[in-house]
Amino acid sequence: MDRKTIIYLVTWTLILAVFWLLLSGFFKPLLLSFGLASVVLVVVLVRRMDNTDNQPQKPSLSLPFFRYIAWLLGQIVLSSSQVAKLVWGSSKRLSPTTTKLPVAHIPEDSRVLYANSITMTPGTLSVDIDDNYVTVHALREDSIKSLQGGKMANSVANISGDKN
Amino acid sequence: MILETLSTILLISGAFFSLTGAIGLFKFPDFFTRVHAASVTDSIATILIISGLILRTDFDLVAIKLLFILVFLLLTSPTASHALAKSARHGGLLTLAEIRDTQNKDNG
Repeated sequence: MDRKTIIYLVTWTLILAVFWLLLSGFFKPLLLSFGLASVVLVVVLVRRMDNTDNQPQKPSLSLPFFRYIAWLLGQIVLSSSQVAKLVWGSSKRLSPTTTKLPVAHIPEDSRVLYANSITMTPGTLSVDIDDNYVTVHALREDSIKSLQGGKMANSVANISGDKN
Repeated sequence: MILETLSTILLISGAFFSLTGAIGLFKFPDFFTRVHAASVTDSIATILIISGLILRTDFDLVAIKLLFILVFLLLTSPTASHALAKSARHGGLLTLAEIRDTQNKDNG
């Protein structure tokens, strides 16, 4: 086991231990030993699975990631109010569109985040994703245009750029 | 007192967006647009209601658990919407624009 693997496993152990403590809130010896046992079990499983699939997942809790989440929350508020306006207004203003957006320039790990962010903002929905394109369905053509502007794609690509 | 007022505002607006999602679900014309309406309830209503609830706790473990619920809901609900839309697409359901195109082709 080299240094990098040890740091990686220790990080996961700490995250899992903190997560378990926050969920339980009890400090009796019996319960603490249950917690310890489950953390050890999960870390052993993580190690075995990484040996099998060779895709270790680093926890990506960097500063750019949190900045992106804050920006995404703002976008969710904005687009939700737009969709709410569409719901309460006349449904003639709907112009449902389907488009393919390129994802080839986004690292593979971050494509899930990108597709999930598209779905999370109301008004746009990622329908299908393959190696080169994500198919997006939108309620209005405007929202497709703002996605094509590429602000979201660029910030997603930047997060993993800092991480690697 | 201020916290309580703020939390009331958050909860009421959360309820408003939930209602909006439900009405959109009935009002919108086809499957894909309806998923959009449901995602209003998924995202903004969840955020508003859970942050409203967090403001009503004593900021102890309960608040942290609510925060966990928020994080996991935000992670899983877009995945569920995506799974729905993807299976509809692969099952051959057409969007409104595509239906219009096929009709034009048939007529012309």
